[in-house]
Amino acid sequence: MDKINRRNFLGAGLILGASTLLGKETNKKIITSTKEFEAPIVAFPQKKPMKAISDRPPLLESSRDIFSQVITPNDQFFVRWHMPDIPTYIDLNEFRLEIKGSVEKPLFLSVDDLKSKFEPVEITSVLQCGGNSRKYYAASGQATHGVQWGHGAMGCAVWKGARLKDILNMAGVKSTAKFVGVNGLEKPAVDETPKFFREMEIDEALSGELIVAYEMNGEDLPYLNGFPLRLVIPGHFSDSWVKMLSEITVMDEYRKSFFMDVAYTVPDNDCECVISGSDFEYKRKPIAAMKVKSVIGYPTPNTVIKKGSRVQITGVAFDQGKGIKEVMISLDGGKSWGATALQKDYGKYAYRQWTYSWEPKAKGEYTIMVRAINRIGNIQPQVDEIGWNAGGYQYNAVDSVNVKIV
Amino acid sequence: MIKILIIALLLGATSLFAQVSKPIEMPYIDYPMVKGDHDEVAQQYCLICHSFGYVLNQGKKSRPYWTGTVAKMVNEFKAPIPKEDQQTIINYLVKHYGYEANAGH
Ligand code: HEC
Repeated sequence: MDKINRRNFLGAGLILGASTLLGKETNKKIITSTKEFEAPIVAFPQKKPMKAISDRPPLLESSRDIFSQVITPNDQFFVRWHMPDIPTYIDLNEFRLEIKGSVEKPLFLSVDDLKSKFEPVEITSVLQCGGNSRKYYAASGQATHGVQWGHGAMGCAVWKGARLKDILNMAGVKSTAKFVGVNGLEKPAVDETPKFFREMEIDEALSGELIVAYEMNGEDLPYLNGFPLRLVIPGHFSDSWVKMLSEITVMDEYRKSFFMDVAYTVPDNDCECVISGSDFEYKRKPIAAMKVKSVIGYPTPNTVIKKGSRVQITGVAFDQGKGIKEVMISLDGGKSWGATALQKDYGKYAYRQWTYSWEPKAKGEYTIMVRAINRIGNIQPQVDEIGWNAGGYQYNAVDSVNVKIV
Repeated sequence: MIKILIIALLLGATSLFAQVSKPIEMPYIDYPMVKGDHDEVAQQYCLICHSFGYVLNQGKKSRPYWTGTVAKMVNEFKAPIPKEDQQTIINYLVKHYGYEANAGH
């Protein structure tokens, strides 16, 4: 550990650059965060070295170049837990997924049961943290609360597992049931801290699209991505994709909880936004369906490119499952736009890779921007147009990367 | 009651397909904290539930922000921090990881 970290954090952490920060009291457009602490790059179990925002609980961010692939490799897939007390060992002989509450027959299923007693299904789906790209809100107005992720709190994988619907049907959902609660094995350090408990309406749970996954990209789930089981909710932000899933509770009534009613919420209005800099005092609703988004995987910021060389610009785009219609690209900071070439379709919940071949003819600084539109006409907002929310959720403004042609 | 997970100070050489047939060894990262101004109080309370990486990741923040964040830790997450220690921590954070709201105005 010493070798890897010391160099990264000594010095870096102590000098948090001269601040040009202004209070959130003003509503002017200001960039709040200047020089940040550079998180160390560390290898965690089953992972390549990744940006470690925190070790306990582990918060690992993928680097931008990951977006030049449709499928995110398991060993580079981002990691995000909420509670510090995570079992470091799971014995599959003992591990059981419990289905309880308003059901005819409570179940205790082993991972083997899930593999053998239910029809296996596979889906390629994006997994994106609700707070992904949050740090870019600072550039659009005011920095927000919450972990300041770049774009690297998302990935796309092939998930294999049993349908939640089939599991619930085996247990027999009672007619009085209205909600389904899910939680996993992570535990807080202080008993009174709210548990990480998530809820959804029974219709959603029975929709047939949700799966209890035991495989990710053809392997057991990596430990830090939720081994042995994880709920998969295609098209939705990952707040309810519970890791180390251990309990499914069918309920007749909604249970109020911090992680449903306070965290992971946005303003309950059409734009899901409030005036930049407002506090949390607004009526809220949980975040749910993802917003159309595209990011650039190559080139990465500040890449230096030789004039006249052929650059294959590439990245990924996705939405809530309506399908990407077009990804537009600008090489002049947004003045003019052209079309990129969409690559193979891996399904409506997967990344859609796009490419654009560019031969820069003049030296200088260039700003590459991309903007996706989906099949129902949802389009990414410009950076200065994006609606703001105090939690910093669902950032999806136009992505940009500066490069230098020499 | 507070249970603090003790993690081996080991950055195991991680093979990519490590089997989880034995406990995983989580690396320990020593996120730096500026010394002085009663950093020991922040050390005592702010590392119970998460690393100091959470604080460093925020960048420089205003006194109202740090006051609100410490209040959130206490009120929402039930951090067991006595009132006077909360103030000490806020002052420490503002001094080393922030700024007074009206600085420069
Ligand atoms: C009782 C447990 C607990 C203690 C003690 C605690 N925190 Fe937290 N803290 C949390 C939880 C839970 C979160 C949110 C985690 C999540 O969303 O994953 C959090 C998140 C944060 C964040 C991230 C930003 C945000 O708004 O979510 C910061 C910064 C933070 N804590 C600072 C502190 C400071 C400073 C202290 C010491 C005064 C402290 N914490 C003590 C539980 C705690």
